[in-house]
Amino acid sequence: MATDKIEEGLSKLIEHILPELEDEDEDEALKDNALELARGMIDSHVSQAHADDPAHIGNIIRNRLIRENRTSDKALRFANLYSRLLALPIIKRKGSILHLLHELSESSDPERESFSRASNGVQSTASTSRAPSRGTDSRRPSKTATGDTDEEFDATAPPKPFLAPDRTNGKGNEPTKATLLANANPPSDPSEVTLLKDLPYTLQGVSSKILTFTNENVLKLPPNMPVPLVSLLHTLAEPALLYRSLSAYVEESDSVEGKGGLVGQSLSAAISNELKAYLSLVAGLEGEIRRAISTLTEDDEHGLSVRKAGVTLRRCVIWTREATMGLRLMAAIVGESKGKRGGQLISIIHGFSTSHGDPFVFNFAKRLLGSVTRPFYDLLRRWVYDGELTDPYLEFFVIEQSEEAIAEASAERRGHASSVWQDKYKLDDEMVPTIMTPEFANKVFLIGKSLNFIRYGCEDSEWVEKYSKTTSKELSHDDYTSLEQQIDEAYKTTMERLMHLMNKKFNLFEHLCALKKFLLLGQGDFIALLMESLSANLDRPANTLYRHNLTAQLEHAIRGSNAQYESQEVLRRLDARMLELSHGEIGWDVFTLEYKIDAPVDVVVTPYGSREYLKVFNFLWRIKRVEFALGSAWKKYMTGARGVLSSVADKVGSDWKVARCCIAEMIHFVAQLQYYILFQVIEPSWEKLIASMNKPNATLDDLIDAHKLYLTSITRKGLLGGTAKSRQPEMSFLVQLHEILKNMLAYKDAMDGLYSCSVAEFTRRQAQSALIEARTAAGKWGVSESDSPYEFAQQVKKHSRPKDDTSDSDDSDSDDEESDEQLPAIRQRLKTLTAEFQARTSVLLGDLANQPDMDMRFLGVMFSFNDFYVVKKGRGKTIVERRSAQTKGDETPG
Amino acid sequence: MPREIITIQAGQCGNSIGSQFWQQLCLEHGISQDGNLEDFATEGGDRKDVFFYQSDDTRYIPRAILLDLEPRVIHGIQTGPYKNIYNPENFHVPKDGGGAGNIWAMGFSAGENVYEEVMEMLDREADGSDSLEAFMLLHSIAGGTGSGLGSFLLEKLNDRFPKKLIQTYSVFPDMTSGSEVIVQPYNSLLALRRLTQNADSVVVLDNGALTRIAADRLHVQEPSLTQTNQLVSTVMCASTTTLRYPGYMHNDLVGIIASLIPTPRCHFLMTSYTPFTSDSISQGKAVRKTTVLDVMRRLLQPKNRMVSAMPTKQSCYISILNIIQGEADPTDVHKSLLRIRERKLATFIPWGPASIQVALTKKSPYIPMSHRVSGLMLANHTSVATLFERILKQYNVLRKRGAFLEQYKKVPPFTDSLDEFDESKAVVQDLIAEYKAAEQKDYLQTDASSEPHAQ
Repeated sequence: MATDKIEEGLSKLIEHILPELEDEDEDEALKDNALELARGMIDSHVSQAHADDPAHIGNIIRNRLIRENRTSDKALRFANLYSRLLALPIIKRKGSILHLLHELSESSDPERESFSRASNGVQSTASTSRAPSRGTDSRRPSKTATGDTDEEFDATAPPKPFLAPDRTNGKGNEPTKATLLANANPPSDPSEVTLLKDLPYTLQGVSSKILTFTNENVLKLPPNMPVPLVSLLHTLAEPALLYRSLSAYVEESDSVEGKGGLVGQSLSAAISNELKAYLSLVAGLEGEIRRAISTLTEDDEHGLSVRKAGVTLRRCVIWTREATMGLRLMAAIVGESKGKRGGQLISIIHGFSTSHGDPFVFNFAKRLLGSVTRPFYDLLRRWVYDGELTDPYLEFFVIEQSEEAIAEASAERRGHASSVWQDKYKLDDEMVPTIMTPEFANKVFLIGKSLNFIRYGCEDSEWVEKYSKTTSKELSHDDYTSLEQQIDEAYKTTMERLMHLMNKKFNLFEHLCALKKFLLLGQGDFIALLMESLSANLDRPANTLYRHNLTAQLEHAIRGSNAQYESQEVLRRLDARMLELSHGEIGWDVFTLEYKIDAPVDVVVTPYGSREYLKVFNFLWRIKRVEFALGSAWKKYMTGARGVLSSVADKVGSDWKVARCCIAEMIHFVAQLQYYILFQVIEPSWEKLIASMNKPNATLDDLIDAHKLYLTSITRKGLLGGTAKSRQPEMSFLVQLHEILKNMLAYKDAMDGLYSCSVAEFTRRQAQSALIEARTAAGKWGVSESDSPYEFAQQVKKHSRPKDDTSDSDDSDSDDEESDEQLPAIRQRLKTLTAEFQARTSVLLGDLANQPDMDMRFLGVMFSFNDFYVVKKGRGKTIVERRSAQTKGDETPG
Repeated sequence: MPREIITIQAGQCGNSIGSQFWQQLCLEHGISQDGNLEDFATEGGDRKDVFFYQSDDTRYIPRAILLDLEPRVIHGIQTGPYKNIYNPENFHVPKDGGGAGNIWAMGFSAGENVYEEVMEMLDREADGSDSLEAFMLLHSIAGGTGSGLGSFLLEKLNDRFPKKLIQTYSVFPDMTSGSEVIVQPYNSLLALRRLTQNADSVVVLDNGALTRIAADRLHVQEPSLTQTNQLVSTVMCASTTTLRYPGYMHNDLVGIIASLIPTPRCHFLMTSYTPFTSDSISQGKAVRKTTVLDVMRRLLQPKNRMVSAMPTKQSCYISILNIIQGEADPTDVHKSLLRIRERKLATFIPWGPASIQVALTKKSPYIPMSHRVSGLMLANHTSVATLFERILKQYNVLRKRGAFLEQYKKVPPFTDSLDEFDESKAVVQDLIAEYKAAEQKDYLQTDASSEPHAQ
């Protein structure tokens, strides 16, 4: 065999196993030493006496299995496998293979800490030195008792470091070992026996004469100890120290009431259980040591008889290995769990049980998890089936908000009013244990929240109790899939119930319809009647309005329109009131309709939403008012044209024509605006809302979201929220529209002035002709030259007095002279208002043309369906021109 | 406050159309033949009180006044299936009912005799309503009673109710083919003057177009009178749906016509309706598929107009209102409007903003409809003037010959002179000129300056 290869392999192996030490020299030395040692070991293995005797090795293994597992299962299985192996013709060196396997099963653990690994060489030599005294392997069954202490540990768990005992035959190498042995075995103080005696105490974290715990986590070793012993003691000190800190943790959490919460308590209970197991291991160990020491004779200075009994420090190290692992893991958990609680704690342990490749760690953590999650699942059960949160230590991932927190949350959302549904409970993502997915946690959150809401918000605790009685089940971590199923089922039932309550008991849909009918003016006949009966009142200053007047008119409007067929439940909520007054406002500015929404429907139509509704109502009401004013004005001028106005056409006919066309433009504007709001904004949004309400499996949250979307799309698209990219940035669409609407009302007033003028002119002419008639009847000239224009007018006036009572015109008491003087002023006013209106519409249309929103651009298109307004884009500016303005200058604004 | 509308039916034609209209309304509102509400008519949402009022025994009674100078048609109504719904006090037929003999003047002068009685009916009906909005006159302008008595009533309504709207559904004679009534140009011209001066909105229905549409749509050469009347009543019902099924917009008559009629004189509205199926017309064709775009496009087609106007190149729409019934999706309407605009399917006035307004309304839940969407167009189109031109032309022919004037000279206002004819002619000429002017770009400017300014 090529020694080079072996050499290379060895150095690689050592390189791999040994950690890089910081000190390079030491590192080098250690590695050389190890290499030397390894070479020696290989050399000593050159020949093996039992290598060719499979039966012998088989016996050894079988005996060991029987010894380590009180039952014979494994041994039987081994025997079975063994016979099958023997039957295999291909494998030649069966004995060697078995030997190798056997050796491997006892070879050193990769997890060992560096210092124990570094001392491997020493150990191995030490063990080889022990070999002769141990005698042959046939004596091993006698050690059965020692194996018993391992009961806490899995038989399949990592094997103990146990170097081959068969070195007796490696005589060729004895000289080197002999020297080492001589070095290792000078009579030391204290002797190994003494140390063994004290060891059980140390392992329990109790100071002994030799090994004292100077403070919390320092074990003081006696001075002048031989290096191998020191390293052994180092190893043994680890579980001792870990035990100390863990028991301190357990004690601490026991003494402080409620520290770490229920999950923390159960964790400490689980740990203390594990510690008990550890203690029983130590007790076994102690028994073994006692037994061995009892055979000790006075003269046996080196404690050889103890060794004979098989109890050495090294053995102790081996026996405590698994326990050390467990302790180490728990210490790690305890260390990480500091300051964590509830779900986070579970997450930590769960982290060990999933993301750790070591099956030992995995199993250990899983066992721990089972007991630790129990209180968590109790919480979960209460939450999922009763909708109650009994979480005194804030361990659950659902948090009940305090009153202040709710208020704060609502303040954070800038005036969005709070609601029980939104703010009472919160999902704390950090507290969601990793055993469940975020979706799952969210589902759990919703279930509990819904149940709680059903119980307290909807006052249907009866159902919840019945539900909890019939369906409540023990939840545990053992069967995650069935847990998921149960939660899904609970989710479905709860959501269905909640939606059922919302729709049937609380008539959510009916309320939404009512909001649309009344606050969004869907019930046109009611709105028209209300406006008509209120208009006289609202024209007056706001401080002369009385609420009882408003409510009386509201009653009247309800009775006179189809609103009377609405249910009492709906009508009861409808109210007319005034907004807060400010000085100098008229009724129109402060009047508002209100639809009262109370719990639990206010979860969907939140107080914030109600305010939004009011805003929309205010806007729509304003438009309606203008439409109403323009409509009644149109009617007045129209019916007037049949009589009064036709007879004075020669004087004011052209004024009327221009004014009428301007009014027509305004009517067109308002009609298009209303059409847009109704069919481009409200109706499509409503359709969407209905669709998402009728969707199967819709949850309350979906509903809330759908309604929120509904409102925002109305407020945003209804020009209320849109921002105009106007030349003046402060001119939002809403402001622009308000200005335009105001402008229309002013125009209407000016036109009423024109109407009065015309009527006055009409009555004057009538009186004139009547006077002439009277004079003619009296045999005089109708109009004589002697009549000065002034006197004639005076006479006409006198004559017209009695006529006024029967005249149709109730409008004009104004003096004819005055109205004649007024005419030019009115003309001027009409002209400025027209110009202003046209300028404003141009700006608005320009802004609309630059809107990113399709629907809003469409509104612009509808305003100018026949391309009357020409939108010209260029050089960053949008100019809107009127087609008629191209022919004549004085119509153009500005 | 239902913004009530009182219907006045004058003459044979008016009463025939009227009875058909009431029948249709009863069906749509679920009112049985005796005026009681049908058991199934519970869905509500409709306003019956615009056109009906409830008697003490809760029966629904039409706000209708039925006038004629000869008893045949009214007698038919009084013995017909719906005889019980009318208020028996609201019928007026003179005992010696000889009719107006197709002479406008006879009808007009007969008005004086019935004035008291009719006004009493009108007052009673007006007092019975909370906030009367309008009168609706149904008549034809070719004959004697509808034309003459109708004209008389228009004048009197003007004086008596100066602040109420007056709308008429006026059936114009078929001017293209030979007329049944030889003096119909006279009658039409005289009535047209009153329609121009004393009405606020005139829905023009033209017998020629009605016959053509009936023949075309229903595939019958000679459509029966019932069938053409059904066409008219369908149009009337459709144009009043927004009043009867209140929604966000167009809840009153002002709301509908204010946007249609910008200047007082141009108040003659054309209509189109589609589709005419057997639901509204007996023996109507079935329609395979209706979409909003289809309906809106068809409404703009001249062949569907119920007026045989002869549009010129300059003819244009002053305004349009489409009332769409059925399952119309607002987004479809939106798309259709854009399509129509893109293809320039409709020409509008150049002097002001104008567009196709759309009202989406419910349809009666009690009448099954075989088509998804139906539509009515109310349009103010300048080509309606061509109809008046033809009347004027035929009048000129007759008048030049001085034919058939004896009958007129017998009764006022023609006993002294024939000035009435000339005045009427002037009014109609003005009307035609106004429509012509409205086709021009400078309508607002030129016309304003042409009229004298009395400063």
